[in-house]
Amino acid sequence: MNSEVAAFFSPGDFLAILPEMVIAGMACLLLLVDIAVPRTKKCVVPALAVLSVAVAAWFSYELAGSGVSAFSGMFVLDGYSDFFKLIFYIVAVFAILVSLRYIRTEEIDLGEYYVLLLFSLSGMMIMASGTDLLTIYLGLELASLPVYALVGFLQKSRKSNEAAMKYIILGAFSSAILLYGISLIYGLTGTTQLAAISAALVTGDVNGPLFTLAVIMLVAGFGFKVAGFPFHMWAPDAYEGAPTPITAFMAAGPKAAAFAVIMRVFLEGLYPAYDSWQMAIAAVAVGSMVVGNITAILQTSIKRMLAFSSVGHAGYALLGLVAGSEEGMASVMFYLFVYAFMNLGIFGIVIMMRKDSQSGDQISHYTGLGKSNRLTALAMLIFLFSLAGIPPTAGFIAKFYVFMALINKGMVGLAVIAALMSAVAAYYYIRIVMLMYMREPEKEFALASSRGLLCVLIIALAAVVALGVYPGYFIDLARYAAFPL
Amino acid sequence: MEKLFFLMFAAVAIASGLAVVTVRNPVHSALALIVCLIQVAALFVLLRSPFLAAVQIFIYVGAVMVLFLFVVLILDMRKAVLQAFPPVKKRFVVGVILVLSAQMVAFVFLTPMGLGPAQGWEPTVESIGRVLFTKYLFPFEVVSVILLAALVAAIVIAKERQ
Amino acid sequence: MILVWAVVIPLLGGLAAWLSGRLGSAFPRWVSLSALALDLVLLLTLLDGGPAGSRWLAEIRIEWIPVIGAGIHLAADGLSLALALLTAFLGMAAVAASWSGIRERTGFFHLCLMSVIAGVMGAFLSLDLLLFYVFWELMLVPMFFMVAVWGREGRYRAALRFFIFTQAGSLLMLASILGLYFVHGTETGRYSFDYADLLGTPMGLATEFWLMLGFLAAFAVKLPAIPFHTWLPEAHSEAPTGGSVVLAGLLLKTGAYGMIRFLFPLFPDAAATIAPVVHVLAVVGIIYGAVLALGQTDLKRLIAYTSISHMGFVLLGIFAWEGLALNGALVLMVCHGASTGALFIIAGAVEERTHTLDIGRMGGFWSSAPKMGGAALFFALASLGLPGLGNFIGEFLVLLGSFRVNAAAAVFAALGLIASAVYSLWIIQKVFHGPAPPEAGIADIGGREAATLASMAAVLLWLGLFPGPFFERTGIGTAASMPTGSEIEREAVTGVAGRIGREKSGRPPGLARHGAGEGPEEMRGRQQGK
Repeated sequence: MNSEVAAFFSPGDFLAILPEMVIAGMACLLLLVDIAVPRTKKCVVPALAVLSVAVAAWFSYELAGSGVSAFSGMFVLDGYSDFFKLIFYIVAVFAILVSLRYIRTEEIDLGEYYVLLLFSLSGMMIMASGTDLLTIYLGLELASLPVYALVGFLQKSRKSNEAAMKYIILGAFSSAILLYGISLIYGLTGTTQLAAISAALVTGDVNGPLFTLAVIMLVAGFGFKVAGFPFHMWAPDAYEGAPTPITAFMAAGPKAAAFAVIMRVFLEGLYPAYDSWQMAIAAVAVGSMVVGNITAILQTSIKRMLAFSSVGHAGYALLGLVAGSEEGMASVMFYLFVYAFMNLGIFGIVIMMRKDSQSGDQISHYTGLGKSNRLTALAMLIFLFSLAGIPPTAGFIAKFYVFMALINKGMVGLAVIAALMSAVAAYYYIRIVMLMYMREPEKEFALASSRGLLCVLIIALAAVVALGVYPGYFIDLARYAAFPL
Repeated sequence: MEKLFFLMFAAVAIASGLAVVTVRNPVHSALALIVCLIQVAALFVLLRSPFLAAVQIFIYVGAVMVLFLFVVLILDMRKAVLQAFPPVKKRFVVGVILVLSAQMVAFVFLTPMGLGPAQGWEPTVESIGRVLFTKYLFPFEVVSVILLAALVAAIVIAKERQ
Repeated sequence: MILVWAVVIPLLGGLAAWLSGRLGSAFPRWVSLSALALDLVLLLTLLDGGPAGSRWLAEIRIEWIPVIGAGIHLAADGLSLALALLTAFLGMAAVAASWSGIRERTGFFHLCLMSVIAGVMGAFLSLDLLLFYVFWELMLVPMFFMVAVWGREGRYRAALRFFIFTQAGSLLMLASILGLYFVHGTETGRYSFDYADLLGTPMGLATEFWLMLGFLAAFAVKLPAIPFHTWLPEAHSEAPTGGSVVLAGLLLKTGAYGMIRFLFPLFPDAAATIAPVVHVLAVVGIIYGAVLALGQTDLKRLIAYTSISHMGFVLLGIFAWEGLALNGALVLMVCHGASTGALFIIAGAVEERTHTLDIGRMGGFWSSAPKMGGAALFFALASLGLPGLGNFIGEFLVLLGSFRVNAAAAVFAALGLIASAVYSLWIIQKVFHGPAPPEAGIADIGGREAATLASMAAVLLWLGLFPGPFFERTGIGTAASMPTGSEIEREAVTGVAGRIGREKSGRPPGLARHGAGEGPEEMRGRQQGK
């Protein structure tokens, strides 16, 4: 290796991206494996996918805390990225496990399904580690492109195709807006590296209208990715049309990755300009909470309802960013960690309801579930309460921690709005609970349970309860992982 | 002079970009897209990146757009569709062509007066290669993964299943 | 450790009851009953008195979320212990009351019931504000289920209303808890949810006032104080009998307890500022509840409205923040739990036998069910405040204490007593006397019901005739061991002792014999001596 090359990266840098290489490489390999194995042994592909995530997780664990910055400052391995990668690994494994039976029921049992999931995972990992707007943008694309295809995976379903179409077009649109914002930032500061942008903002005088425009573009672009109001229009359709495991994956994985990036960009790169973006983010957060939660009340499809509720949850999480403190950051991280479990859990039950001719995606389909399937209903109940933020579930601690970060910064008004909106949210979650417990079932329930699904449900349930009762360790972890401001 | 050219190319690019989405005949919108891409290539020249300009024309105008046009013609161009879009006036077409050619000719002949080579950096293929494989190695590799993923995604969506 | 067990046992018992529901519907009942009995016995051992020099009879701290300064801090003083004992006791009564009424999903019912009890118990015992909030919410959800699943026709609306009202109040309290946490944190640099730390937090009156309002909202909804009472009649009347007992007997008390334990000590000045307004609300509540009770045709609704009236007395007593009135409020809380609980049980028994709660369709039950009639008469008399029964002591002390603080309020509150006499006797007259409808004649109460009611009657009689031991363990000790950072409060506390000493003639008979006249210092010495 000559000196010219050595100036930009060293062999050690490849060690830092080992987990990403494992995931992307395995995705390529699985394409071949899928062709090689006979149709009757297709379960090899998901098994290998889970295995590769496990291997990547192990590498991440070994590398954790090294704090390496690789590829001339484009990629970093810090506690922050490790924490988010932990979320991604969990979400990916859960998504694979809950898909096993579902995609056979829907007759979309293709190896490419898992390959695309792995590609998306690798993109999310790059997003979490990216410290340069260029890598961040590429990671974002790598994470979203496969999801576009996954949303449209149900070829026979009109809704699925439509959802994919909408998602692709709006996704491309938001990417363009984001790129425009990035280019403006680059034009103003002369760099795409977050640390250098931050330094340029401190020294140079860039607070002009162009900078405001750039910030608005970034907020809009990222707003699309986290489905925050008013950039959330794609979410209900995409969530409803997509195969349910993909809906679960989208709401927990790429969304968390988008948050990882947002916090990295705004709190590391643009932190010196906190005053100029704080209001914009706060507006998106409040809008998301209000619109998401109120619209959710009107839904009859459970997937649409969860889509709007996820808009609302994005609002809560954004509040942690508005706080603009290390504690706020930790609160968002903890929130996303908890959200991954409760989200996968509740979608796991929605997936379970899909069997043969029973679609299970209307809220009314859950009528009387509490009478016929007690354990399932109880699990659903706990997930719903957690989403509503009722103690002693993890959802409460997560919301609570965000409120704490807000009030600590003196933003009491926002905290009160958030509290009121969670009372609204409680209403539509409770409505499902009432349906489950207070009405007689119309017909026998047939539940499509599988070992993978049950495994996910049990782990998610245990996590939701344990994190609610004894959250200390993970809050500590999130605080430790948050990068210093 | 440089600013003037920039404004001209940018304006035409935006106008043709708008035309892509507003005109109703798919062939016309494909042609408008070609115009737009050529303007962008000219902008690359202004930025002293002739190689990128050439690549832009080769790949987008030469390969991608031609494919687009083929697809449009194969898929949709039945007679009925064609008749649904009334032909534009000849004088208008000639006008657009004349304006665009005048723009290009002016660019080619007037450049030597305003555009010198970039300072301290040779925009050669070699130097671009060097940068791509040293400083931007990681993004470059990520892009390749993206392309692969996009390929898989496109095939999955398009493939007929039993 | 006993305190932890006191909370955990009902929870575990509930789970065990739920699981045992598969074996047969009798199992959950026995499991719950024995768990609560065990709990009661455990709590009774605390009566022996705590470690010397401590204001708590028992205390335990366990690390929970050290990062944010929240811990599992449970402690019991006289006040907590009295209410915790009441919780276990009424819990058993509620199990007994649902013995034959709940036939469907008994396992799940008992899980809900026991979770409510665990939540209430936890709220009475926890001294960490975050933990308190968690327990506060823990009792809400299962209660919601009890109303919504096993309730009567209007249960959806009632349950939802109950949930939304209390949830909105709780969230405001949560905001206040956080506000207090940060005010304290920024002032002292020590971030903590611990009650002991937060006492005497220095803050401006405006801040204090707003923070206090958040707490007041939650407690006033739970209590309930006018105008936040509208959920109560519906929830009480739609709930199954066991639910009504828990709701009226325990949940309402958590609001009152919160005021005594948290609202006044944490925000003494703000509470003193708002006290006159609350006095008016309390008096309005007393009269309004009593008058509306007269207009009810539904037996359970009637009892529910009497609850509003009685809780008005409790509210008045607390916001007088005066030793006698506070003790009165505490006694009244316990007695109201027993007497109203018993009335709900009787109403439930009537409903079970006649399948209606419409008073118009009842009458003349005395002849066929004399024991039930006798019991009803007894509890109705208790409810109207017959001297010799516990409620009298409570109401009397409240009036006595609040007269000194706000004479007008006390006078008007006394008017409510008249109305209470009317409605109490009206129940007896309409239901048990009068012309019998054609299909009159109901089975009398059985052994299980008799035992339940008898034990509740015993509590009322004990507190009415011989309240000394109660005050000794819990009453005066309550006020004396509530130090805050405020002068007002200290005045109130020491004032109690002094005034009681002076007021010997005005004291109810039971009080004279048992050291009620001693000052707090002597009191503490006496407890340590044991």
